[in-house]
Amino acid sequence: MTALSSVETLDISPVGRVEGDLDVRVDIQDGVVTNAWTHAELFRGFEVILKDKDPQAGLVVTPRACGICGASHLTCAAWALDTAWGTTVPRNAILARNLGQIVESLQSLPRHHYGLFMIDYTNANYAASPFYEEAVKRYSPFTGTSYEAGVTISGRPVEIYALLGGQWPHSSFMVPGGVMCAPTLTDVTRAWAILEHFRQNWIEPLWLGCSMERYEEIQTLEQFEAWLDESPKHANSDLGLFWRMSKEIGLQHYGKGHGKFVTWGYLPHEDKYNKPTIESRSSAVIMKAGTYDGASDSFGPMEHIFTREDMTHAWYDEGTGGVHPFDRTTKPIAKNTIDTNGKYSWGTAVRHSESGALEAGPLARRLIAGNTTGQAFQHSDGLVLDMYRKMGGASIMLRHFARMHELCILYREAERILREFRLNDEWYIKPTERDGKGWGATEAIRGALCHWIEVKNGKIANYQIIAPTTWNVGPRSADGQRGPIEEALIGTPIKNKHDPVEVGHVCRSYDSCLVCTVHAHDGDTGEELARFRTA
Amino acid sequence: MANLLWLQGGACSGNTMSFLNAEEPSACDLVTDFGINILWQPSLGLELGENVKTILKKCISGEIKLDIFVFEGTVVNAPNGTGEWNRFCGRPMKEWVKELSEAADFVVAIGDCATYGGIPAMAPNPSESVGLQFLKRAKGGSLGTNFKAKSGLPVINIPGCPAHPDWVTQILVAVATGRAGDLTLDEFHRPKTFFSSFTQTGCTRNMHFAYKVSTTAFGQRKGCLFYDLGCRGPMTHSPCNRILWNRHSSKTRAGMPCLGCTEPEFPFFDLNPGTVFKTQTMMGVPKDMPTGVDKVGYIKLTAAAKGMAPKWAEEDIFVV
Repeated sequence: MTALSSVETLDISPVGRVEGDLDVRVDIQDGVVTNAWTHAELFRGFEVILKDKDPQAGLVVTPRACGICGASHLTCAAWALDTAWGTTVPRNAILARNLGQIVESLQSLPRHHYGLFMIDYTNANYAASPFYEEAVKRYSPFTGTSYEAGVTISGRPVEIYALLGGQWPHSSFMVPGGVMCAPTLTDVTRAWAILEHFRQNWIEPLWLGCSMERYEEIQTLEQFEAWLDESPKHANSDLGLFWRMSKEIGLQHYGKGHGKFVTWGYLPHEDKYNKPTIESRSSAVIMKAGTYDGASDSFGPMEHIFTREDMTHAWYDEGTGGVHPFDRTTKPIAKNTIDTNGKYSWGTAVRHSESGALEAGPLARRLIAGNTTGQAFQHSDGLVLDMYRKMGGASIMLRHFARMHELCILYREAERILREFRLNDEWYIKPTERDGKGWGATEAIRGALCHWIEVKNGKIANYQIIAPTTWNVGPRSADGQRGPIEEALIGTPIKNKHDPVEVGHVCRSYDSCLVCTVHAHDGDTGEELARFRTA
Repeated sequence: MANLLWLQGGACSGNTMSFLNAEEPSACDLVTDFGINILWQPSLGLELGENVKTILKKCISGEIKLDIFVFEGTVVNAPNGTGEWNRFCGRPMKEWVKELSEAADFVVAIGDCATYGGIPAMAPNPSESVGLQFLKRAKGGSLGTNFKAKSGLPVINIPGCPAHPDWVTQILVAVATGRAGDLTLDEFHRPKTFFSSFTQTGCTRNMHFAYKVSTTAFGQRKGCLFYDLGCRGPMTHSPCNRILWNRHSSKTRAGMPCLGCTEPEFPFFDLNPGTVFKTQTMMGVPKDMPTGVDKVGYIKLTAAAKGMAPKWAEEDIFVV
């Protein structure tokens, strides 16, 4: 017990519910993780700040909850008010919101890949790998050849965001009834030029080693492997090296998780959500909403009414049953001491009312994209689902691959939007403010994000946010079921207990929006072994 | 060579993200071309756990010379002034901030949270957040009114939500290349080279401002955002329309009212009902005047300007 308490005194990083630091405690026995707890340790209280404020305050405040996926927060804040006020949103505005969301995600792909994920491949843990020397050359922080190229070019897609919203991060250009901007022909042509530059200078020469068109032919795992073997350019591209080195160091073997997935779907079609309501959203989005259960290989629907937050193990005084966010009161408890048998996180346990804990993120989106049912305008793509079925389910490697696989898909949708803008049509229809309840959802690059708002007497009565990281890093629920990352850590092999990079791989594969501190904890002696950050 | 340490308190990482958009110089250029040695950075640092703590301790003891200490995010004092809600490497972050600030040649606060408290310090300020040397307009903050770093300068404040990446990298280069003597700061410790002019300086809507032609609703290509939509461009100090954002634009150019985020009061009026994206008026006259303009002068000037407004100013012209 002495051992446990000594760790508790060190579980202490700044954490917010939607952004900040996260602590993870893992028990290690015989070189394998046997138990895990995630602690989110700072309550910044954005829900408390928003109470009684102007109904539109969320448009200013929530993008600043997270400087990494602020466009996604803004998207949710705007659609939440649209549904509460019963606005009409012109097609140009839907396209402009979608484009803002997409370019933020395009920015995040190289930035996360090089800036946060691949650095671990230069860890001395992998010095014996035949790929190690090349990894160090390409991925060393600041000086690696691909690192410098990738991190620098990651700023280009959000230049398109600046054309729409003036700046990235932290614009508030999406408002109920549409958008603030009215782009002109030069904005469209500049956006095309930026996309083309991104493709010509990173996607094709560095990332793929081939044309986007060639990569887009790939439909199955076998076709992907054939592509790898087809040319040294493919095998030696940054994607090729990621795939080959990940397999060589065993990242396809752990980080499995619950095997159940969720996505809100996103990118409402420009002609199908002009009269936004909470109920009509799922049938209007291009990227399908839904759930996927790997064990039964089956898909299910997803609506906000299935959402529950369980505060049994979270530092809130709100009972032990699952509560829908509209019914939450956000009552933080004053003394946030860690008790792994009791309350140990500011994160709530988000659950599906029927299916329990679900994993959010690009892997979830890609698996549900494999569902071939749906409407003609909805996107389908079976590659990641095929890989999931043939590679034994989820893993660190597949989770990160799924994220990067969205690159070409999002790029094509951005191109389509630039063709669809009708420059002489309207961008905004002034709405009438009224009281009501609203819900806005999207997919941030790192997964399912949504906002609930209740406007009463012309001000915010309740504002609730569930971020992808809330789904993934939440603690146990009342029934003892672990949160997704807690579950995914079980079975993780640890080679060097004083530098458990493997735990970092698992956390980083979820791309959590928290800056995390990971505590490795020896199950036998209780000695705290190392702490480090993921992001 | 200059050693730089960057830590985050009550932050959203927005300034780190903005910093990574820098182009001249880029974040990598700072390292490879300007000899800035980034000792550690929360989102980018390689070192882990105890190794980070070791770096911090060596900076404090002087074993590692700490040339530049960068802080992003608020200094959290909750609960009850203890700072325990934001602990880092085993103790309240505010204690690290104090000791590192005393050890550093230069202390640079990046973004509104670190300068004035920003969004987290908005009422009711549940995290008891403050900036390094200010809380809103009030002097003091976490380090106290009299704090000076070893160079003799107080905290260099680079406000903005977020700060523009070039404001950050150019100040870092100035310090690293021995130009710190040329830095002059205003009453809120902002470098005058960036914060003497107004957000409106260089705005593409200035002719519409002059003729009092208003953008009456969002999604229009004409008009000035000051009269109806709450734009604070004429009374906010920033170079947003001189040094463009993400190489291309600015909020006011794109049609978004300036929120005044380089000023200590941001977010203005605590975003209380009726204050968001709406110009606050009294008898039809804006409550907040363009800096230096008095109310009587404003009424005369705008009445004349309105009467003089040419026809083209009311048309859908491309102000962007």
